[in-house]
Amino acid sequence: MNTKYYDIDDIIMEEETVSVIFQKTASGVGIDPSSEKDFIETGSKVELPFWLAHELQMRQAVSVNIPSCFDKTTRLEIQADSAGVDLRSRCPFFYEFGCKIAPIVGDRTIGFLLLSAFKSRYKEILTKAHSVAFAAGSKFWSILTKEEINLYETAQSEMASFKKWRMGGPRFQIASVLGKKRKSTE
Amino acid sequence: MYGKTACQLVKEFASGDKGQLVSFNSDLFQQVVAECSQHLLELQSLIRKMEEERLDIQTVRNADYYGALIHHLTLVRNKRCLMAYVYNRAEIIRNLLWKIGHVLPQEIEEKLSHAEGEYFKKHSAALKYYMSKVMVDLTVDMIPPKDPYIKVRVLDDIGDGILLSDDKTANFACHSMHLLKRTDAEQFISRGQMEELSG
Repeated sequence: MNTKYYDIDDIIMEEETVSVIFQKTASGVGIDPSSEKDFIETGSKVELPFWLAHELQMRQAVSVNIPSCFDKTTRLEIQADSAGVDLRSRCPFFYEFGCKIAPIVGDRTIGFLLLSAFKSRYKEILTKAHSVAFAAGSKFWSILTKEEINLYETAQSEMASFKKWRMGGPRFQIASVLGKKRKSTE
Repeated sequence: MYGKTACQLVKEFASGDKGQLVSFNSDLFQQVVAECSQHLLELQSLIRKMEEERLDIQTVRNADYYGALIHHLTLVRNKRCLMAYVYNRAEIIRNLLWKIGHVLPQEIEEKLSHAEGEYFKKHSAALKYYMSKVMVDLTVDMIPPKDPYIKVRVLDDIGDGILLSDDKTANFACHSMHLLKRTDAEQFISRGQMEELSG
C-alpha cells in the first residue's frame, strides 16, 4: 500500500489540476464542464485533478499535458532569479508535484529544473531564517512553497532550541495545544 | 469536480496549526459519505448496463467501462480523504492524553465528535490500566530531574484541599508560590494553571 496513504499534504497535493486529453470515450460521468451530456468524446480536453488523471493515464485512457507551473516562462524566471519567483501561487507543492508529474509526462528536464530551483532557494531561505524574523504574511512568506515554509520554520525553531539550551530556562511549559487559546482569553 | 468536497474536508484539517484540532465537521463529512453512495449507484448502473448488453466486463473497454472506472477511482479517493481525516485526528487525540492528561479542557472537548470523545476515554482507561499493572506513571517527564522539587507560581485559582503525593493538602490560591514535587506540579503546568519559576 502507498506509504503516504494518510498523508494530508500528499492528498492536498494530488488535488492539483492537470489538463488531459481523452484517448477513450467515457459515459455517465459529469467531469467535463464544457459538454452538456454526461459523455466524454475522444480527444476532448478536460481539467482533472492529478489523482484521477494519473490513474487514467496508467490505463491509457488519457494523455497528460505538462502543467503550466513547469512551462517555459516559469523556467526562464527561475533561471533569472530563482529566489524571487513566486512558486506558491503557481503550485504550493511545486517540488513534490514536479516529482510526481515528471515520469508521467516523460519530461526529463523537470528534474533538473526542480533541483536547480531548490538548491538556490534553499540557501536563501536558510540565511534568512537565521538572520531576520519575517512576520507571517509578509512578502517573503507569500512566495514560498509548503516545503520551503517547513524548512524555514524548522531552521527557526532549531535556532530557538539551541538558544534555550545555551541560556537555560524552565523545562516545563504549558502544553502547546492550549498555549494560544489562553492568551487570547486573558 | 469529483472528490472536491472530500479534499475540502482534508484542507480544513490542514488549515489548523500543527497539533491543533479544529472542530469535527460532521456536515461536510456526511456530505462526502452521501457523494460516495451516489457514485456507487452510478457505478452499479453502468455495470448493469454492460451486463444487459451481454458484454464481458473483464475485457471490454468501452465508454461505459471508463465511466465506471472514473466513478470507482472517485470512490477510492473519497475513502482515502475520509480515512485520512479520521486517522490524523485520532493521532492528535492520542497525543492530547500525553500532553495534558486524562481530563480534557472544555474548549478542546467541544471540538471532538461523539465517537472521538469515546475513543479518548477508552484510550485513557487503557493507559491507566496498563500503568497500574506495571506500577509506573508513564506520563511524567522523560528526563530525570536534578532536584525533585521545583518552585512554581499559581496562575489560576485552583482552590484548596488538593491532595499531593506526600499526603498533605495545599491551598493553591491565585498568584501564590509553592515548592512542590515535580511530579505533582507537572500536570498543572501542562494545563496552564501554574508556571515554573526558574532560579
